[in-house]
Amino acid sequence: MGNALIVFDPTTGPPIAQRVQAQFEGRLLRGYQEGLQQGFDVTAEVAPSLLAFLRNDLGCTCLVDLTAVDYAKYPEAQPARFGVIYILLCPETGARVKVRAFVADSAPRLATAVPLFAGADWAEREVFDFFGIVFEGHPNLKRILLPDGYRDHPLRKGYPLRGKGERADFEVYRAFTG
Amino acid sequence: MAVEKPFDITTTTLESAINWARSNSMWPMPFGVACCAIEMMAALMSKYDASRFGSEVLKFSPRQSDLLIVSGRISLKMMPVLMRIWEQMPEPKWCISMGACASSGGVFDTYALIQGIDQFLPVDAYIPGCPPRPEAFIEALMVVQEKAREGKASTQAYTEKAQQV
Repeated sequence: MGNALIVFDPTTGPPIAQRVQAQFEGRLLRGYQEGLQQGFDVTAEVAPSLLAFLRNDLGCTCLVDLTAVDYAKYPEAQPARFGVIYILLCPETGARVKVRAFVADSAPRLATAVPLFAGADWAEREVFDFFGIVFEGHPNLKRILLPDGYRDHPLRKGYPLRGKGERADFEVYRAFTG
Repeated sequence: MAVEKPFDITTTTLESAINWARSNSMWPMPFGVACCAIEMMAALMSKYDASRFGSEVLKFSPRQSDLLIVSGRISLKMMPVLMRIWEQMPEPKWCISMGACASSGGVFDTYALIQGIDQFLPVDAYIPGCPPRPEAFIEALMVVQEKAREGKASTQAYTEKAQQV
């Protein structure tokens, strides 16, 4: 391998799409190619086993990013309101894989990816902080960027830009301007 | 025959001598949290050279500083930290609110940001701009020096309010 720059070629690269299609026959919502990146849409129930398969069997051992999208006002209909997005990298071949796990609106829950990828720890806390998606089995699921006493999840669609009175209600504010 | 005053002696009060010394040795505590901090650094480095005004000793320790420079946006979660830093600074102390965000929230009229640090801290000099030029920073520094020379600071009202809390 050395330090040579690896450019993933979908025609000669590892047959990730075929392996995943074969393993998860009928359980994928959608599979697609975005440039050099392969994407898989799954339900929240299938996501942990797909991530484990990608990491343990297909060598996608690097979690590049973990984030979420609220599709509440998205023009095209989506399988569920929230999409939790995992971007994985295979260091051997340079292949990139996107996994999008759809989570339902009411009491959104998803199994944690921390046992698979230690780097998912803070990223899942951030998604919990801003979208209110609960990652079951997370070792320390609490707010990471917003103050501990914050009550809502501001990156959900419909949350007002100026907040719901947090600025006036924050404890430091109460002490000084009250 | 009257006693002649020697030319090499000046009489003054001890207080004004101390204030004069203070005004020419401001030790800033830089609280740079956003892009204004870049202009603050430029103002402190050799081209604009704040050490011409006696302010070259940047102390990232509030206990050894007497001038707090808040340059950047402050979030709800950061404000208690900033107030703690302010409380740790020994009096007399001064505060510069640098740029639109620190002074008024700027364009960030959002759920997470403080709309002006002067709701919590006594600000002695505001610098407009987004971000301000180093010249504006130097002018604010001179305003604070003028206040120090006159023995003034904006801490009085703040201290009274903090004691009520």
